[in-house]
Amino acid sequence: MPAGRLGPAAQSARRPPPLLPLLLFCVLGAPRDGSGAHTAVISPQDPTLLIGSSLQATCSVHGDPPGPTAEGLYWTLNGHRLPPELSRVLNASTLALALANLNGSRQQSGDNLVCHARDGSILAGSCLYVGLPPEKPFNISCWSKNMKDLTCRWTPGAHGETFLHTNYSLKYKLRWYGQDNTCEEYHTVGPHSCHIPKDLALFTPYEIWVEATNRLGSARSDVLTLDILDVVTTDPPPDVHVSRVGGLEDQLSVRWVSPPALKDFLFQAKYQIRYRVEDSVDWKVVDDVSNQTSCRLAGLKPGTVYFVQVRCNPFGIYGSKKAGIWSEWSHPTAASTPRSERPGPGGGACEQRGGEPSSGPVRRELKQFLGWLKKHAYCSNLSFRLYDQWRAWMQKSHKTRNQHRTRGSCSRADAARREVLPDKL
Amino acid sequence: MDLRAGDSWGIIACLCTVLWHLPAVPALNRTGDPGPGPSIQKTYDLTRYLEHQLRTLAGTYLNYLGPPFNEPDFNPPRLGAETLPRATVNLEVWRSLNDKLRLTQNYEAYSHLLCHLRGLNRQAAAAELRRSLAHFCTSLQGLLGSIAGVMAALGYPLPQPLPGAEPAWAPGPAHSDFLQKMDDFWLLKELQTWLWRSAKDFNRLKKKMQPPAAAVTLHLEAHGF
Repeated sequence: MPAGRLGPAAQSARRPPPLLPLLLFCVLGAPRDGSGAHTAVISPQDPTLLIGSSLQATCSVHGDPPGPTAEGLYWTLNGHRLPPELSRVLNASTLALALANLNGSRQQSGDNLVCHARDGSILAGSCLYVGLPPEKPFNISCWSKNMKDLTCRWTPGAHGETFLHTNYSLKYKLRWYGQDNTCEEYHTVGPHSCHIPKDLALFTPYEIWVEATNRLGSARSDVLTLDILDVVTTDPPPDVHVSRVGGLEDQLSVRWVSPPALKDFLFQAKYQIRYRVEDSVDWKVVDDVSNQTSCRLAGLKPGTVYFVQVRCNPFGIYGSKKAGIWSEWSHPTAASTPRSERPGPGGGACEQRGGEPSSGPVRRELKQFLGWLKKHAYCSNLSFRLYDQWRAWMQKSHKTRNQHRTRGSCSRADAARREVLPDKL
Repeated sequence: MDLRAGDSWGIIACLCTVLWHLPAVPALNRTGDPGPGPSIQKTYDLTRYLEHQLRTLAGTYLNYLGPPFNEPDFNPPRLGAETLPRATVNLEVWRSLNDKLRLTQNYEAYSHLLCHLRGLNRQAAAAELRRSLAHFCTSLQGLLGSIAGVMAALGYPLPQPLPGAEPAWAPGPAHSDFLQKMDDFWLLKELQTWLWRSAKDFNRLKKKMQPPAAAVTLHLEAHGF
């Protein structure tokens, strides 16, 4: 070995090298023994075993006599010396080992079983692969983005803990056209996922399954049959705008655009809107927004910032009877409701929320009343819009009325409003 | 140059800081032509960066190989690793290397090491580890390119691949998994040693390309150091 040319100075591998030259030496490579001439062979070499099984191994030394004998040899497993009672000298040059009830491998590259000479140097090694065969993967779910690709996810059987490297392969084929295909792009949305980027056919169902293989065996999931058109998802609606509705303090208007990729096919798209107050984590969801591109949120708190998101479901695309898959939520858009301008008693703080007609219970009751009225009283013109217009008018006239007042309390004005309410209807 | 290891590192660090803060290395050269200085500096920086990257990668990889490979004093026999290019060299030999030979040795070493690294077939490793390995290979490729740049700037020809050392060197099919693990271990160790050595190689080259110390002092004063 070239390093040997330098002599004993280089042998002091353990001390921090005091001289620059020593840094140049592969310190760990500094030879410290002559045992390079003797090697051994472990049998079996790199075996694969089931958890709980036993292993009989041997370490046979060879080298020129008077070479090493089996005396003084010992075993380590993953760096830990094995108890001597597990070893047995078979003959002059062979040491045997008996391991029982093996645990799963500590690392997927295999447990390191090593045969050492008396001085600790390594004579031979063998990698033990101890584990379980894979269990059936299950729970395959797939979705197609704009009918262009297919991404699938699955759950490995037995939570994936086989202690051995397990290879998962997603296969698919068109139902009536025999050829099996294998997905190539793995780990796109998590460890057990695959992405098929192109060459997907519509109108014929696909059969999809996952095969799991490791050194101890293989397993195959159940076959999932699906039609691309039934699992379509799309991008979230772009251009979501939230704006105030005139001076109304408890409403915001949300507008969006139909996702462009499926624009020509989304006759029956469904949307969902969710919104929350700035500091809250609780979202309120508006469901059943069918095929519109705008919506008015009501019952909101005045002078508050709201975050709003919209998502889309390409329901019934190309005549599919099923709902599609909801898109991601759009980026949050924020807007604030106008501040309540009604002065409180004593002209200052406004906190009489209970008296406001825009509060939840009153509005709900009003909605129910209007609904009933529509059914029984032929008042087709009645609508929330009309009610809102009236409120806007009330606010304006309230302002002008207040300007003429001296510093009176607001509660009387509120009481007046409460009286006005039933009359108007 | 019989310095203590600590001192030499201190000087190197100081030199690095000085060179870093000077507005531009070309300013040091009186003739105004930047010369190979900037690319030598860049190569030096790359070796330091790679050394840092390797530390993390090696830690993760050795953990994947499992104990005793990840133990600090592990020293297995170097069996298959005989074909790896050795960074270890006699001090006098190293000092007396001419620039061309110094650069050639570096270039050939990293070519071989990159080959071996690419041949590492670690299907069983986690996707994350495989990505880190691929990323490191790309960085190492960058270092090779940088060394080639320095050689071109100095007018030296790039070494041709030797007929005996085919890039497709691979262990025989009978190579056991444990032997493969030992090979992996030594590959990482040799890479580490080469990066340590290359830093000194390029530092030495850098100092050779600089004008004498007096000029450096002048500039330091001019820039208010």
